[in-house]
This record gives sequence, structure tokens and C-alpha cells, in this order.
Amino acid sequence: MNGVKEKLRSTTSRIIAALLGGLICTVALTIAITLVWPFGDTVEKIFAGGTFFFIFWAALFYWAILAPRGTRAWLRMLSILIPAMALDAMMLIAPLT
Amino acid sequence: MQQSTHKTLYNTHGWIGIISGILLFIVTFSGIPALFEEELSHWQSANNPVLNVQQQDLDKALLTAQAQGFDHSTFFIQPASEVDGNIYIAHYPEDETPAHIVKINPNNGQVLPEANSDMAELLGHLHTDLHLPHPWGRYLVGFAGMAMLLAIIAGIFIHLKWRKEFVMLRPKRSWRLLLTDQHKLLGLWSLPFTLILAFSGTILGLLGLISPILAVAAFNGDVPKATEAVLGPVATITQEYAPSQSINDFVLKQRHDMPNIEMDFIFIDGLNDKGGFIKFSGNHKSKLSNLESITYKLASGDQVHRGSFVEKGPFQRIFAAVTPLHYVLYGNGWLKLLYALSALAACGLIVSGNMLWLERRHGGKRNADHTKVAKNHWLGQLTLGTCGGLVVATTAVIAASQVLRIFNLGHQQVQWEQALFWGTWVGLIVLPFVYHNSFKLSHFMMRASGLLLLVTLLADGLINGRWLWHSQGWVFNMQCGFLISALLCFYLDFKIPHVREEKASKSATKNLVTTEEQDNRDLDSVA
Repeated sequence: MNGVKEKLRSTTSRIIAALLGGLICTVALTIAITLVWPFGDTVEKIFAGGTFFFIFWAALFYWAILAPRGTRAWLRMLSILIPAMALDAMMLIAPLT
Repeated sequence: MQQSTHKTLYNTHGWIGIISGILLFIVTFSGIPALFEEELSHWQSANNPVLNVQQQDLDKALLTAQAQGFDHSTFFIQPASEVDGNIYIAHYPEDETPAHIVKINPNNGQVLPEANSDMAELLGHLHTDLHLPHPWGRYLVGFAGMAMLLAIIAGIFIHLKWRKEFVMLRPKRSWRLLLTDQHKLLGLWSLPFTLILAFSGTILGLLGLISPILAVAAFNGDVPKATEAVLGPVATITQEYAPSQSINDFVLKQRHDMPNIEMDFIFIDGLNDKGGFIKFSGNHKSKLSNLESITYKLASGDQVHRGSFVEKGPFQRIFAAVTPLHYVLYGNGWLKLLYALSALAACGLIVSGNMLWLERRHGGKRNADHTKVAKNHWLGQLTLGTCGGLVVATTAVIAASQVLRIFNLGHQQVQWEQALFWGTWVGLIVLPFVYHNSFKLSHFMMRASGLLLLVTLLADGLINGRWLWHSQGWVFNMQCGFLISALLCFYLDFKIPHVREEKASKSATKNLVTTEEQDNRDLDSVA
């Protein structure tokens, strides 16, 4: 258990959180923003998602990498991923419009 | 900013550069010829007449092509442009078989011989796809762009004394300080352009990868439906004969319906088919968009779709501006030159970054007996071989595109050019691992590149009679570009030190310690 904890706290874990966790969060957030974007037609929503994808990715990467420990980096990613995925699921299953 | 944040950003900046630096150099350096691909393509075909095109008869051009055996119903027409005054009619098969291209002189309707050289395409494809299978090469280029973007972001935050760094270059001091100053100077001056190139390049490279994600959100994962929503409908071939209307008439119609399009391509899908379409696409004349298009039915002439991104929302406008911003499809030749110089600065930035990283980790290390450790780190050798080798291979293939004309190789010239390019590059990647004097090798590469560019000009004059002082139009511009690049190579050869300059003496150094050096040392000790 302690070994796992140590691994999660490590710099490698922080880097993985930034690279992989950041990318997964970005995908979830991009889908969410595309689904809920209130302005313009469907094509505008797609391009809003497409533009934000790169901004989210860069921002989340640095948010994770600047965390003091690996565990904190993963927590930061999860704090974005869980609400984004919940929103995605809600919007895909029962869209507002 | 907290020191720990600064340190993390500093390390991230360094590691991103080290991991992606060589790939980034390949993409950035090959971006320079890619920026001038149309112009290079025009220059490499020495038989291209310099034309002043008044009027283009596209129907006549198509009939000429058909008389030459061009019997495709799906094809592109590239009308004569300001750079290349010829009409191109091309069919690109869906499999990997070669394209069927007919080149026609619009003034007299004559079919021109196909260019034997493929140098421009070779260099352009390296930039867009790294000559890797589609779409993996494109994705890799996109990831390199993303790495560049991340490195730039960290670079902005760690260089807080930017006002001072804008003008600071201390060439007489240590090798490490020279590299540091050069890295910061190049980075700061080229920042707006590198930021634009990195952001737009990342979007262009990774668009294919994120399209399914966006399609999931908006079209239940149906990518073709999403593509159709963005780019317009595609023709449904019915196999039912219906004579197509005149292409010239469609051109007039397009000019009337969308007068602000600078038409670049005409795509005909299903010639003489009831369901056939003709699609005009090009750039907006006054706004940043290369996604302007209008589609008609070939048989009836009815308008099917009108795609104008400049009339849409802000995000559609951003996407429409990506390609014009990346390939300078706006402004004039001078702006292209500025982009090319910025790309060159970015190349210097990448190389100096790699060297700086190595210098900070291995530059001052000593063995147990206090002798200096060998300076030849494998990463340094790989950087020199790959980056310097690419420069030499590029100039070699540019020279070969003209020199090989002596041997009348016909279509085989393309294979010879490719063999020369890859052979030179691979040979020079290996060379630093065999010959360990990196400084001498750098000078050799600079001189070789400069000489090859001068050989290009000489060969162009002797073989094609296109001497610099007789040339005009884009041929003259390209030749001037080669001459200036050759001079730049010789200048760099002159300026780059021949040996690694150590600090003069301990006492002298003590007096010359600056805040900058102190900063570097602090960061090193922290690292």
C-alpha cells in the first residue's frame, strides 16, 4: 500500500498525470464544451470545441505539472474529469434540446 | 513567482525541448521550403514560361487534356496563378498510384512537358507528413507543434527579464553565455511568429485526430456527416449521362455569386453525370480564410452549397484563418520572407536550446583526475547530424534538381533526387558519431550548404540559361533567396567559433559574473 502511495506521489506520476491525465481531461472537456456551447450553429459548436481543445490541453498539462506531488496532480485532473464526464453523459443521454 | 514554480517551468521547458527538439527542427526547417512550395515548384521546372495571363479558357484546356488521353470524370483544375502561369488538370487516384497531371500553357493551349524534378514536393511533404504513412506523420507533426506550444508557454514565464534580454548578446564571453543569450534573443524576437506557427501547426496536424471527438459530441460519431456539415455535400454519381455545362460559364457565375473569392482550385466530381458537382474553392480576397467555397450542379448549373467562413461565428473564423496564418496566404512576398526568417530563428532556437541543455549538464563536468570529460554526448552528435545534415541534404537536393538535368534522366530524376536527399541526410547523421570534432563538422556543413546553393545558381545559369541578372518574376526571387541563403551560411561559418571558448581565467571570470550567470547557476544548483 505504501509502495503504491509512494509511486502515486512521485515525479513520474506527476508527469503521467500531466501527459495522459491532461489529455483524457481535455477530451472530456472538449466534448462537454461542444455539447453545451450556447452560441451559433452545430458547426460553430464543433469549432469552439476544436479551438478549446488545445487551450485546455496546454492549461491542464501545466496545472498538473505544477502540482507539488503526483497525488495532487491526479486529484487536480480528477476534479476536472469527473464533472466533465458527468456532463458529457448527461448531455449525450438526455440532451437539453 | 515562487522559486519552485519557476524551477518546474524551467525544467519542463528544458525537457520538452530535449525530447522533441530534433523532431521540431525537422518540422520547422522543412517549413521554410514548404512555405515557398509553389514558388519552388515553378522554379524547378526550367521549361515553365513566364506568362502574363490575360484570360484562361478552361474548357479549351480540358479538351486539350482529353485529347492527350485524360479521360477521368473526377479531377481538379488549378487555374493559372500569379506565381505559376500554367493551368494544371490533375486526377489523384484513391489508391497509391501516381497522379495523372496535364500542364497547359493558357496563352496558346499547348501541353507542356511534365517537370522531371519533384524537389519541392519532397521538401513540402517532409514538413506536412515527415514522409511517414498518412495520417501518422501528420499526427506526429501535430504533436511536435503541441510540444513547441508548451515549450513557448513555459519559456514566456521563465524569462521574466525580457526587456533586458531583448538586446543582450555577449559574444566575447563564455560559450555557455553566448548560447544562453542567443537562445533568449532568438526566442524573444521571433515569439509572435513562433507562437502563430506552433498554434496553427498543431491545429493542422491534429485536426484529423480530434475530428472524431468533435463528431461524437455533435453528430453521434458520424465523421462524414460532420465533414459534410463543414465542407458541404459531395456528389452522388448516378451513372446517368447528362452533359455538363461550360466550365468557363461556371467561372463567370462563381465570380458573380462570390466576388470575394480568389479562386485556387476547381474540383469536378462526375463530369457529364447527372449527379455531378463542380466546386470552386479558394481564399477570401480581404479576410483571413482559405475555406471559401461554392458548389454547383454540373448538369443544371444550380447552386448546391455556399461555404463562407468569414460570415460565420468567431470559432469558424479562427479555423478558417489557420491555414492562411500558417502558410502566409495573405500579405505579400515580404511577409513570407519574414515568416521564413522567423522559422530560421526558431531553428536556431531549437539547436541552441539543445546545446545549452547539454552544456549545463556536461559542459563543466570533470573526471576524478580533474581532466575534463569528453564533450561529445550522443545527443549533441545526433542534434548536429540530424539538424546540420538536413540543411546540407536540402541544399543538395535543390542543387540536384538543376544539375541532374544534364543527364536527361526523365522521370527517373525524381528517384535520383530522393536517393541523394535521404543518402546525404543519413550519411551526415552517422558522421558525427564517427568523426568527433563537432566544431569542424559544423563548419563543414555550413560551407557545404553555402557552396551547394552557389552551385544551384551556377547550374541554373549554365544549363537553363537563367542567369540571375537575366531572370524575372518568381524565378529571380528564388535565385535571390538562394544567394542570400548561401551568404548566410558563409556568414555563420565565419561567426561560429572554431573551438569551445573556455572562460579566460578564474580571476577575470570572478569580476565578470553577472546576475544572469548567477541566475543560471542558481537554477543549475536547484536542478
